Amino acid sequence: MTQDVQPSKSTELPPWSHLTPNKVPRWSFSKVFSNIVISVLALFFAIPMLWLALASVDKNATFQTKIPVLTAEHYIVSLESGNLAALRNSLVISLVASAIGTVAGFFAAYSFSRHHIVWKGPILLGILFLSGVPITILIVPMYEMFTSAGLLTMFPTAVLLGVTALPFQIYLIKNFIDAIPRDLEEAAYIERAKTWRVLWSVILPLTMPGLASAALFGFVNAWGSFLIPLVLISSDDQQAAPVRLFGFVNATSIDYGAIAAYSIIYSLPVVVLYLALSRQFKTGFVLGGAVR
Amino acid sequence: MSVLTQNSDARTLGLPEKLRLEARLDKARFNPASLVLLAPATVLLLGLFLVPVAYAIYLGFTNLQLIGLHAVNYRFTGWANVNTLIHDATFYQSIWLTVLFVVGSGAVGATLLGLVMAIAMQDCLRLIRQIAGALAIVAWTLPPTTIAIVWKASSTESGIIPTLLGNPNYDLLYDQAMLIVCLANSWSLAGLAMIMFSAALRNVPEEILAAARLEGASRAQTLFKVTLPMLRSTIVTSSLLMTLLTFGNFTLVYLMTAGGPGNQTNILPVYSYLQGFKFFNLGYSALLGNVIVLISAALGGLFVLLGKQRR
Repeated sequence: MTQDVQPSKSTELPPWSHLTPNKVPRWSFSKVFSNIVISVLALFFAIPMLWLALASVDKNATFQTKIPVLTAEHYIVSLESGNLAALRNSLVISLVASAIGTVAGFFAAYSFSRHHIVWKGPILLGILFLSGVPITILIVPMYEMFTSAGLLTMFPTAVLLGVTALPFQIYLIKNFIDAIPRDLEEAAYIERAKTWRVLWSVILPLTMPGLASAALFGFVNAWGSFLIPLVLISSDDQQAAPVRLFGFVNATSIDYGAIAAYSIIYSLPVVVLYLALSRQFKTGFVLGGAVR
Repeated sequence: MSVLTQNSDARTLGLPEKLRLEARLDKARFNPASLVLLAPATVLLLGLFLVPVAYAIYLGFTNLQLIGLHAVNYRFTGWANVNTLIHDATFYQSIWLTVLFVVGSGAVGATLLGLVMAIAMQDCLRLIRQIAGALAIVAWTLPPTTIAIVWKASSTESGIIPTLLGNPNYDLLYDQAMLIVCLANSWSLAGLAMIMFSAALRNVPEEILAAARLEGASRAQTLFKVTLPMLRSTIVTSSLLMTLLTFGNFTLVYLMTAGGPGNQTNILPVYSYLQGFKFFNLGYSALLGNVIVLISAALGGLFVLLGKQRR
């Protein structure tokens, strides 16, 4: 505050230089208190994860959390053919789901953002509502429909998982397109560009961060889904990783180390993807549509 | 802009001959391209979301079974399922447990945890702050299956939490199932709430806080009389978001306890799944799903209402 009053280039001391500023105590009660609270909470967050890290490298792993007798065998077991195939299935399912949702979401979001649509408000509200509905309600009807059509396989399930993320993706991408000034498109239209051309050359490059967040959301949503693959994929060799992991837990002789190692291998891509990408578009993914 | 230039704009836009003279550029017009653009999303959402939900409403009034005679030859049974529902003690228990779970661990638990973290992190040592923040965010990004496994391992017999409480042989997950499931859910969502509150705290103007300090307000007074009132809208938003996320959290509860022991954690989504795929009553399961749709519609309405009030 004092600097504003001070003439900018004077070298002599200001007239109030004999006064010392009020001392801010380095440690106040609230600071100590905050540090304790945060440390305790950090422990609260760390403790459950601790078991995961230690058991995955412990030769004699159990549900106990203890100093491990180091071994890598659990990771080797986790990457056996069947387990690896489940991870690959999950990858394929998640990529397909993410691609379907993002592409369909992009087109719809552009239309919702720019075109005149009858009942646009209520439709958008309905879409927002769909993004909050628990997916459990789809299980019985989808099971009936997929059974009678003989579709209890990977790809129909992937499409369904893509659709479960679609409402939120439309919202997310629409928020990004809404922020793009219309002048650019209008210039392109005046140059007689077609809608496709505008979408591809103007909107797409400018919405990239939004599309990346939407794709990430679709991927994480499908990757984490347990119930839908459990019910809608009938054959074991098409099954997704979380269901395989659950199979470990329910096995007759529980291999605790393998559960921990496979959990880590299964969770790592999502955590890394999120942490790596979130810095690039902090505003988008976390808050994009969720808060509005 | 004069009428003349507007018309010439219409010409350069390449509109059909008839529209050139009649089109009013000051009014939004139907754009045929929107049909094409909306088609994929419409087909997908109709075919794999809305039609199934409508179909589920019908199935809720049938005697459909997973296996056996009524698996194929099921029929409309009218109010029979509804009659079962209103005399189903487990259903009422399930509703109560759902409310407990959703409000306790979602709307209140996760929001409060996130809020406390965001506020305390403001005057905290950088290192501690970063570690705690990173841990909370990792907990939030973990897939639900992993969260369930991790919490099951730490709260069951010989797990780390009973050990820290001094009795490794105590099966906390069995004895206090609801409490542990709620803790696990708050644990997994607090990171998101924390991010929301940290962003909101950055938007609290520094001048207001400085003014409060200048008036001699204590830390606690500043917190309760200035900061928290300014965070009110974020608190509401966070509570509702956590409510929705918790309500949909089937995987966590099902994998940790499968609704047990003795229905103690049998929240509505889990009960619906168990009725359908454990007791084979798909029709009744669909009816329970319909109840879930009604509840989320009510929640969604609340969301919209509160959103309108704020504007």
